[in-house]
Amino acid sequence: MKKQIKVGMISFAHGHAFSYLEGLSRIPEAVVTGISHPERSKIEDALMRTEADYYEDYHDLLQTDIDAVIICSENIHHAQLTIEAAKAGKHVMCEKPLGLSVPEMEEMISVCREAGVQLMTAFPCRYLSAVVRAREAVMKGEIGEIISMKGTNRGSMPGGWFIEPSLSGGGALLDHTVHVMDLMNWFLPDSRVTDVYAYANRIFHEEIKVEDTGMIHVKFDNGVFGVIDTSWSRPRSFPTWGDVTLEIVGTAGTISVDSLAQKNEWFIDKAGKGQHHFWGDSMDDLLVKGFIEALVKDLPVPINGVDGLRSTEVALAGYRSVETGQPVRL
Amino acid sequence: MRVAVVGCGGMGRVHAGEYAIMPGVELVGVCDIEYHLAEELAARTGTRAFSSYEDMMSQAKPEVVSLALPSHLHKEYICRSAKLGVHVISEKPISLKAADAREAIQACEQHSVKLFLGHVVRFFPEYAQIKKAVDEGILGKVGVVHLKRVGSHPGAAREWYFDEEKSGGVIVDLMIHDIDFALWTLGEPKSVYTLRRTSEASDYALITLLFHNGAVVNLEGHWGDPGNFRTSAEFAGSGGVIRADSENSKSITIRKAALDSKGNRFAEIPESPSVHSPYYLELEHFIHCIREDSNPTVTPEDARRALIVANAARESADTGQVVYFGHEFGRETYQ
Repeated sequence: MKKQIKVGMISFAHGHAFSYLEGLSRIPEAVVTGISHPERSKIEDALMRTEADYYEDYHDLLQTDIDAVIICSENIHHAQLTIEAAKAGKHVMCEKPLGLSVPEMEEMISVCREAGVQLMTAFPCRYLSAVVRAREAVMKGEIGEIISMKGTNRGSMPGGWFIEPSLSGGGALLDHTVHVMDLMNWFLPDSRVTDVYAYANRIFHEEIKVEDTGMIHVKFDNGVFGVIDTSWSRPRSFPTWGDVTLEIVGTAGTISVDSLAQKNEWFIDKAGKGQHHFWGDSMDDLLVKGFIEALVKDLPVPINGVDGLRSTEVALAGYRSVETGQPVRL
Repeated sequence: MRVAVVGCGGMGRVHAGEYAIMPGVELVGVCDIEYHLAEELAARTGTRAFSSYEDMMSQAKPEVVSLALPSHLHKEYICRSAKLGVHVISEKPISLKAADAREAIQACEQHSVKLFLGHVVRFFPEYAQIKKAVDEGILGKVGVVHLKRVGSHPGAAREWYFDEEKSGGVIVDLMIHDIDFALWTLGEPKSVYTLRRTSEASDYALITLLFHNGAVVNLEGHWGDPGNFRTSAEFAGSGGVIRADSENSKSITIRKAALDSKGNRFAEIPESPSVHSPYYLELEHFIHCIREDSNPTVTPEDARRALIVANAARESADTGQVVYFGHEFGRETYQ
C-alpha cells in the first residue's frame, strides 16, 4: 500500500481551511484524521463530510499519530501553534502571513528545523495556472530581463477577526501584501528586497479598526522594482471577491496576468448584481497536493518557512514606512 | 477664427486635421522647419505650408496658434506668440520647468492673450464620465486609484523624445496626462514617490501620489511597451468602483484576410470609433473660450501644477525619497 499522510487541521478561523479540507479529500495519499477548532458549531458541516475526529483542544490532536498539521488560525496564533506542532514532531503547513514579527518567524523556522519537520507557508497563488505560465515565460527569457512588476491583490473587507488587530496583527497591508510579494520573490529567486515604501489608510470602511487601503513599493537588490495594491477596495456590488493581477515589464516584452479572468459572467436577478464565477484550476487543491506530495516523497516542501518570512518581512517593513512617511531599508 | 499650426509632427497633424473640419475655423497655415512635413500636411488639409514661424505669423496672420513643438520649445513659442498678440493653444507640458511655466503664463497675461494647454485626457469621454461621477459623490470617498498609460517609445519616430532635457521623459510627457487627471479629480496632492527605470529603448515608471483627502493613486507609465497603446483607469471609493480600460472598449473589430510575411493568416484591428475625437472636443472647447471670452476646463495654472508634480516625481525617482508638497502647493512655494 502507498504511504498515506495523516493530517490534523488546527483551527478553521481562516476560511481557507474549508477549501484545504476539500482539496485533501481529493488526494488519495492524504487522510484527515482530526480537526480542532474551539467552536464545534462552526465546523459541524465539515466534520460531517470527513471521517475525522473532533478535538476541542488542539493539544489532544497533537498527541495523536498524525504526520502533519494544517494551521488556519488567527494570525496571532501562527507562531505558537507551529512551534508546538513541530515539537510534537508534526510537519506544518501554516496559513499566511507566517508570523507577525521577524524574530517570531525565525523561531518558527529554526524550531521546525531542529525538530526535523517541514514548514510550509500557504501561498496558493503560486498554483494559479496563469502565474505558473508567466513564471515559465520569465524563466525562459521570453520578455528579456525583468524591469518591474505591478501587482494587485484587492479584496473585499473580510470582517471577523481580520479586522481585530489583537488577532490579525494588521489590516489590508499585511493581509494582501504577502501573496503577491511571494510571487515577486518567486519570479526573482536570486534577489532580495532591499527597500520598501508603503501607504496605509482606512477609507472604504470607516467603522473598522485596521487599515483597508494599502499601496506598497519594493526595490530589489538587482534593481528591479515593483508595487502592489493590497486594498480591501472591492464593494459589495462587485461581481467577485477581488483579484490577483500581475503586470511584468521586461526589457523585451511585457506579461499581463489576470489570474481570475477564467470566469463566466452570471446575471441572476436573485443575486441582485452581476457575478463572476471562476472556472480555472483550484489553487487551494494544488497547494495542499504540493504539501502532501512533498511529505510522501520526502522532498522539500515547495514553499517553505523562509519564503513566508521573506514576504511577510516586506509587509512589516511597510508599516515602518507608513510611520516615517519615507522608504525604509529592509 | 484664423488658426495656424506650428509643428507638423504627430500632434500637429492631429490639430490641423481637426481644425480643417471645424465649423467657423479657418486653418490659415501650417509650418515646420522640415518643410516637406508642412507641405504634406498643407496638401491634406487645404492650407498653406511655411518653413518658418516668422513667415507664417506675418503672412498668414492667425488669431490663434496651435503649438505642436518639442516640449523644450513650448515656453519660447508661447512667449513669442503672446508678444504678437496671438492666442496660444499649446500641447502639454506647458514647459519643462515650473519657473518657465510661470514666465509663459505671465507673458500671456501681459499681452492679454489666452493660453490653453492640451491636457486632452479631460476630454476623453471615459475619463470625463469618471470625473463627473467623483464630483457627484457616486463613488463616495475615493480611496485607491490606478491610472495606466503605456505604448511604444515615441523616440523611435522623433529623436528629441530620447533627450530628457527636451522631452522630460515618460513622466513629464506621457504620465503628466494622468497626473493632471488625478489632480483634477482629487484636489491637492500631499506627496509623491517614484520608482523608474530608463534604458535606450524604454522609460518606465511607477508613481504613487498621496492626496490630502487620503486618496492614494498609483500611476504606471511606459515608453517602450511592445503592445498596442493602452490606457486604463480605476477609481475605488467607499461607494463603489468605476473602471475604464481601452482594451475592453473596442466597439468594432475588423478582420481582414491577409497573408503577411510571417505567415499570419489574417490581420485583426479592433477600434473604438466616435463622431469626434477627444482632440476635436478639446480644440473646439478652446476656440469656444476665445470666442466667448470664457475660462477653459483646464487652466494654465492647472498645467503648471501638473508639471510641478511631474517634476517632483522625477526628483523622487532620482533621490529615492518621498517628495512632500507644502500646503501652499501650486501657488508660489514649490518651484
